[in-house]
Amino acid sequence: MKPSPLHALAVTLAALLPLTACSNGSGSDSEQPEELVVGMPVDLTTWAAADAAWGNEALYHQAVYDTLLRTDAQGGVEPGLATEWSYDESMTRLTLELREGVTFSDGTAFDAEVAVQNLLRFRDGASENAANLSSVVEAEAVDADTVELTLDAPDPALLTYLSHNAGLQASPETFDAEDAQVRPVGSGPYVLDEEATVVSSRYVFTAREDYWDPEVQLYPKITMQYYPDATAMLNAVKGGQVNVTNLHSSSQAADAESAGYDVHLSPVNWKGLILADRGGEVEEAVGDVRVRQAINHALDREALLDAMDHGYGEPTAQIFGPDSEAYAEALDDAYPYDPDRARELLEEAGYPDGITLVQPQTSFTPASEFELIAGMLAESGIDVEAEHVGSTFIGDLLGGAWPTFRFALNQEPLPWMTYRLAIAPDSAWNVYDVEDPTVEKLAERMRLGGEDGAAASRELNEYLVEQAWFAPFYRLQGIVVTDGSTDATHKVGYAMPNLWDIVPVS
Amino acid sequence: MSTPASSPGLVPRLLRHPLGSPALVFVVLAVAVAVAGRWLAPHDPTATSVALVMAPPSAEHWLGGDAAGRDVLSRLVVATTYSLAGGMVVAALAALSGVTGGLAAGYFGGWVDTAGAWLTALVMSAPAMVILLAARTAFGPSLWLSMAVFGALISPVYYRVVYNAVRAVCGEPYVDAARTSGLSTPRIIARHVLLAVRAPVILVSSGVVAAGIGMMAALDFLGLGSPSTPTWGQMLSEGFYDMARNPLLVLWPSLALGLTMVALVLLGNALRDELEGTSAPAPDGRRAPWRPRSEEPPRVIEHGDADERPVLLSVRDLAVAYPRGGGWTTVVHRSDLTVRRGQVHGLVGESGSGKSQTAFAVLGLLGQGGRAVAGSIVFGGQELTGLDEARMNALRGRRIAYVPQEPMSNLDPAFTVGAQFTDPLRVVLGRSAKEARRTALDLLARVGIPDPERVYRSYPHQLSGGMAQRVLIAAAVAAGPDLLIADEPTTALDVTVQAEVLDLLRELIDELDMSVLLVTHSFGVVADICDHVSVMSDGTVVESGPTRSVLAGPRHPYTRELLAAIPRGNPRPPLEGARP
Amino acid sequence: MITYSVKRLLSGAALLAVLSVITFFALRLGTQGVAQQIAGQSAGPEAVALIEERYGLDRPLAQQFLSWAASALTGDLGRSWFTGQPVTEAVLSRLAVTVNLAVGSVALTGALGVLLGALAATRRGWPDRLVQVLSVLGQAVPGFVLAVGLVLLFAVQLRWFPATGYTDPSDSVGGWIRSLTLPVLALAVGSVGGVAQQVRGSMLDVLRRDHVRTLRSRGLPRRRVLYRYVLRNAAGPALSVLGLQFVIILSAAVVVEQVFSIPGLGPVALTSTARGDAPLVMGVVLVTGALVVLVNLLVDLLQAFLNPKVRLS
Repeated sequence: MKPSPLHALAVTLAALLPLTACSNGSGSDSEQPEELVVGMPVDLTTWAAADAAWGNEALYHQAVYDTLLRTDAQGGVEPGLATEWSYDESMTRLTLELREGVTFSDGTAFDAEVAVQNLLRFRDGASENAANLSSVVEAEAVDADTVELTLDAPDPALLTYLSHNAGLQASPETFDAEDAQVRPVGSGPYVLDEEATVVSSRYVFTAREDYWDPEVQLYPKITMQYYPDATAMLNAVKGGQVNVTNLHSSSQAADAESAGYDVHLSPVNWKGLILADRGGEVEEAVGDVRVRQAINHALDREALLDAMDHGYGEPTAQIFGPDSEAYAEALDDAYPYDPDRARELLEEAGYPDGITLVQPQTSFTPASEFELIAGMLAESGIDVEAEHVGSTFIGDLLGGAWPTFRFALNQEPLPWMTYRLAIAPDSAWNVYDVEDPTVEKLAERMRLGGEDGAAASRELNEYLVEQAWFAPFYRLQGIVVTDGSTDATHKVGYAMPNLWDIVPVS
Repeated sequence: MSTPASSPGLVPRLLRHPLGSPALVFVVLAVAVAVAGRWLAPHDPTATSVALVMAPPSAEHWLGGDAAGRDVLSRLVVATTYSLAGGMVVAALAALSGVTGGLAAGYFGGWVDTAGAWLTALVMSAPAMVILLAARTAFGPSLWLSMAVFGALISPVYYRVVYNAVRAVCGEPYVDAARTSGLSTPRIIARHVLLAVRAPVILVSSGVVAAGIGMMAALDFLGLGSPSTPTWGQMLSEGFYDMARNPLLVLWPSLALGLTMVALVLLGNALRDELEGTSAPAPDGRRAPWRPRSEEPPRVIEHGDADERPVLLSVRDLAVAYPRGGGWTTVVHRSDLTVRRGQVHGLVGESGSGKSQTAFAVLGLLGQGGRAVAGSIVFGGQELTGLDEARMNALRGRRIAYVPQEPMSNLDPAFTVGAQFTDPLRVVLGRSAKEARRTALDLLARVGIPDPERVYRSYPHQLSGGMAQRVLIAAAVAAGPDLLIADEPTTALDVTVQAEVLDLLRELIDELDMSVLLVTHSFGVVADICDHVSVMSDGTVVESGPTRSVLAGPRHPYTRELLAAIPRGNPRPPLEGARP
Repeated sequence: MITYSVKRLLSGAALLAVLSVITFFALRLGTQGVAQQIAGQSAGPEAVALIEERYGLDRPLAQQFLSWAASALTGDLGRSWFTGQPVTEAVLSRLAVTVNLAVGSVALTGALGVLLGALAATRRGWPDRLVQVLSVLGQAVPGFVLAVGLVLLFAVQLRWFPATGYTDPSDSVGGWIRSLTLPVLALAVGSVGGVAQQVRGSMLDVLRRDHVRTLRSRGLPRRRVLYRYVLRNAAGPALSVLGLQFVIILSAAVVVEQVFSIPGLGPVALTSTARGDAPLVMGVVLVTGALVVLVNLLVDLLQAFLNPKVRLS
């Protein structure tokens, strides 16, 4: 009998189907897992260490690079390529003792000179966090395995920064290489498998032999799959295609759970309004503290949390998270929902007929959220007009185009980091560069750290809430899901765990 | 292009169309909702309420609330306005640029034409999605802008239709006449050209509107819509986002989008049916049975006939009908014919008298749906009506052959003369490729083709009409048939060629000893070649007899009329030197 | 024929030139603040200035275009501003995936479309109704809805096929087929109906022509006339439709690749245009434009092969 095409098709299908049934199974429990597949909600910006981003991209870099220091899941500083570290008395000189015998994957040796160059290149590079090293005036290789950093002022967050992108160590061969953005050479636990990698889609890593810290090499192979589309990511989860990922949206948590994933929650961002023009430079009303307080009173935080993020969060009026020294639980409900009080405050401030704010509206966030908030504020006499912006959004935002706007900012593990991110006059998110003497005085104390620094940070938090520099809605839970073969420990203040905190379940 | 313009009866006709009427009603309804949307919506479609977030349907909010606590029904209603308007913008812009361009290029030709063709190619090879994205990045997330750009990108659809229509119209004599009579260009375009273009433009539009709505939904799905304007696509994409929590949020916009698109597409199909007359006939099951005409046609007038040769073909009381609407159109009411062996039988009548249909009925090759609904056709003792395909195929090409009227259209343009000549020889007569080729070349030479080898290799369009007709005759007689049916074999040819072809036919008849049923409108041809003649009028054979007798003493008024219409004279002698 | 092809290619090149001018200026005029975006959300002015200098963003637009064009002519399309990947590499590696997808869909569309169209034209009855329904649905159901539906049913519920991703045939042929099945279906279902209807239409048209009757009069069986003569005559229009479908499917693939997270040109086109990554956008436009030009040329050459009248004149 001559096989018909239909017959052939049936045979092919029959041959394929059994494959599909077990292709993505999690393997048997006794063996070491072959591969870890991580779903990534963001793409890698660049492999060039000097320009590297962090946050959601940290996992990419942690696979290939070592950092001078590491921070554990609770935020504690641990040795990395530097085994010891110490400040002098003035807290402006940091000495780092480096690990010996470490080589990059291209064979180049790692030493103090290389470390110095990496640090300076990052400080002067194009990373969005380049300013994290702005306090470093000088970096010097004292000997082959000792580096000394000189600061212009104490920086209580520097050690943490050195465990992030500022501490990434790349081979000097990549420094001026044209392909540095796409071809990383680090000393880290894995190397990028360029053959199997599809830029902006799938990054494949294989474990390096003779790595100095085999304990963090938990998988022979790691694939990081970037999902630009939230629905596609969710489908990948539902289809059992990833071992671990952080979900785009809390609305997907239930789906992941019903697909057999474990859901790990931890507060990462605070979501709310940044009342940026607190100096009243562009919008006079926002310069009045009573107006800013009125905005805070106009928010029904519980309702917003339920409506926008399905209850995956905690209502709050402060921008510091519970893991931060500056946190004060009482401040969470400093501004109860009270439209009448809001109207009163507006009237006191001289706006009996209410005010109108223009806020940017982008497609990055659902239009429904914008309208929900606008609708809520309108009840207290605060009208919000939408201005539609496209790709210039961030630039315009940071350039001070809007006196108030909605955003979600990271809750940094250290108060100083929060200060550097959104409070300091030269920080990115203090877009009108507002300088407040009280804030600066407190910052000086925070800079020096210790007990007094911690106390100062709490005072700062109280002051910012009272002055209503922000109108936070709630702390948003970051949602990491893991399948049955994987476990993960959330890292304080970050969306994703450290790479080595994602572990196989035996 | 003979598209009937949309007559005032178009809407009633659409309403009678089985799928057109519900589609039209739905589209009208959707448009009504779109126009009145702002007043119809029970709530403010943008008003948010925390209490209404993901609320189930209730008396106050019939379809419940969405993720932002907005009334779903109101959003659906207002989204209708934006979605349809988006589709309209696409169609309007596409039509504006496509029709204008098509008109200009088609009417003026020359460099305008060249430029138009090039621009069309440019637009069509542009990756639409990338252009849309770039435009959005460049000019901001405006729904209208995106739709306008998409309209421009899709405008070649109109351009092509209009261009073709205009080219066809500009070839018509009345446009030339208008031009020479000094009418201005705009007036010609307005009066003649636009009229011709109207139908195809209407037709294309419903598809384009649907495409526009679909594209808008796709852009919204990719998150590239304008966040402030509620559209079905946006509701859909928001719904997908929250599908696990509330699948109904996907259902409503899907229904609205799907039904509207289906309605638009069906409306387009119905429009095409009505405008181009391609309405499908009712299936046989629902068709009324055929009935003969109520008044009995008069019996055929038979002249006395001394011919005693055996009867080869006998057609009795034949009626041929085609399905139309829910009933039948009868093209042959009663046809009676007797063709004897060796006889050349002329079947004469005006065009539309049913003579060709009678011939096709004998061949068993009536047009789509056509059927011998009554009477009998007996060939060589075998009844042909109701004969199955295989038996009929056994007769065709072997015992009954056919020479058509229009030589050029009867050769397949995609195959060489040799290929289409030899294929039946091999398939039907079972000759080998080599034998078939030799037979074909011999026959081509026999019918007077000077260079058979060259013609054998040629494509039909490389031959002259006379040459093509010789090819067809040669192919027809290849199997040595008993009956040759020749349907106006000379009508489409030049006068001198006509004579040559007739002479060729006469020779072949003598040589091969076959009977011929010669369908013609010309008594001249009949007098020239036929020994017997039947006259057909209005689907009925009215008079029949030996040629000499009928010519000398026509009895039926219609035969007399026909004869009076041709100049009298003796049959001409064979042309000298006509034969090679 | 060679002169014809060369002429067509030249006109295609001119077309690409115009296309790139339009795209470049539309994009660059539209996206201000690219440097800020490249540098990142919270990058300071120094970092931004560094980026501007590095990519020559501080020069006048015309000059930027000319220097892009000059190196493009030498085959160097530069590097992506955001990922630093060479554009040629980025686009070509992903083009292969999209072409896989598009060719698969067009092949499936063509095979099913011709089959159904031919059946509908000759049998009428159920194939005819199926074609009608398919073509209406194909036009009415947006591709992304279909794609999402397919994923939910076959990948999430039944787990027959992967929900996302693309497997290279060099890794696993079975995996390749499985990863392409759903996306190809999502793309093809939309166009099968339309193609089938076209084939049906042109076959009915050919069936009505005189030469078909003449061939039948010579005793050729109906099937042979249909499949040898009618189909050949109807192939021209069908081919044109398939050529057009290829272009349409290229655009539709953007959405489908998004749904299935397939690393084709779609996501690159989306992200690069959204963030104003000019070198990459230009690369995508050039390559897809060239692909369309080539496909159109191929269709016309095939057309000429099928139609002797065109071939010889």
